Amino acid sequence: MTTTHAGTEVTAHEVVAAGSPMLTRLADERATGAFLRAQGILYLAEGRIVHAESPSAPGLEVLLTVGGALPAQGWQEALTRAGARHEVGRDLVGSGRVSAGELELCHLGALFDAAFFVLGPASGPTHFRYGVTHWFGQVHPVPVAAVEREARRRRALLDSVWPCADVDTAPVVPRTPASDQTVTGRQRALLRLADGVRTPTAIAWALGRPTFHTLVEIRRMAAAGLVEPPRARVPAAARTVPGPLDCDEPNIALLRRLRDALEESL
Amino acid sequence: MANTETALKEASTSIEGVIGAALVDYTSGMALGTLGGSKDLDLSVAAAGNTDVVRAKLRTMEMLGLKDEIEDILISLGSQYHLIRLIKGRNNNGLFLYVALDKGRANLAMARHQLKRIEASLEV
Repeated sequence: MTTTHAGTEVTAHEVVAAGSPMLTRLADERATGAFLRAQGILYLAEGRIVHAESPSAPGLEVLLTVGGALPAQGWQEALTRAGARHEVGRDLVGSGRVSAGELELCHLGALFDAAFFVLGPASGPTHFRYGVTHWFGQVHPVPVAAVEREARRRRALLDSVWPCADVDTAPVVPRTPASDQTVTGRQRALLRLADGVRTPTAIAWALGRPTFHTLVEIRRMAAAGLVEPPRARVPAAARTVPGPLDCDEPNIALLRRLRDALEESL
Repeated sequence: MANTETALKEASTSIEGVIGAALVDYTSGMALGTLGGSKDLDLSVAAAGNTDVVRAKLRTMEMLGLKDEIEDILISLGSQYHLIRLIKGRNNNGLFLYVALDKGRANLAMARHQLKRIEASLEV
């Protein structure tokens, strides 16, 4: 596929989580273009990932402006001045609005955050449009393998903290902490925005922080009992709990484990 | 005007006895940049693991009600020093610099001083 040129598009139907044979092939052939999925877009330049966007992750402009590094007007001005040349990043640093280090770290943060969702369980077809470049310009290209590895590590980290993914998408409902429980500064900032309507993604947006960072904190708080697990919120009448009479053969092993655990804790 | 790579390079040249260095995001546990390391010191594993060290200390400070900030954390092994310097950027991004030093060659006071300087040059 070395003769492909701008405008060519290829499509694949992939269902692999946090790994894509198509993406690996594109990296090998040093492709430039946009890798499109329902969950977002990865921009490649010569086989490396230079930019990523996802509706699940706040973009760089949110991280910079809501995060407080840059006034919203500064972002707009850079966009107007350098957007057409695909050099917004360079303009932000060149005009002294953002330091090079700040831009690089924020950009990497946004890239890995969006890529985590793009490389999540795929739904629908994957397209690749050759020759497409992003208007922001390049900051720090990252190898495809490194992004895929990090996406897998992040998935595993979330599951090791709290294995139920339903807290990732449900509105966050705080619980009153027990008297001996500690809530960290970052968690407090997050809980202040948890109004029972905002989801973790909406909170990430409001704080100007990456969504993954919010998910990690939410799962930690779910494990600590500081937020309500979504399943417990189902109205009692809607739950299908078997009554005592439905249970012909009690699970002796489970009951023993429960008794052991209770005795341990007394 | 330093970026991640130049800051880490500066750490490895200006600090005596550096075995490896990393700039780490302590919420995700991801190393945003690494330099050096070896088969005996996997810096991405060190990055992820040391986030737990930082979080544990931050939590302890909350429990104690200490209204202060961590400047750095020193872990002293038989043959190495591991130095963690928290970065206080204006965004409060939750980053730290991690440096593993050869104990025989390192000057701890100088290393801490240099790390402070590198933090300032990162401008984050």
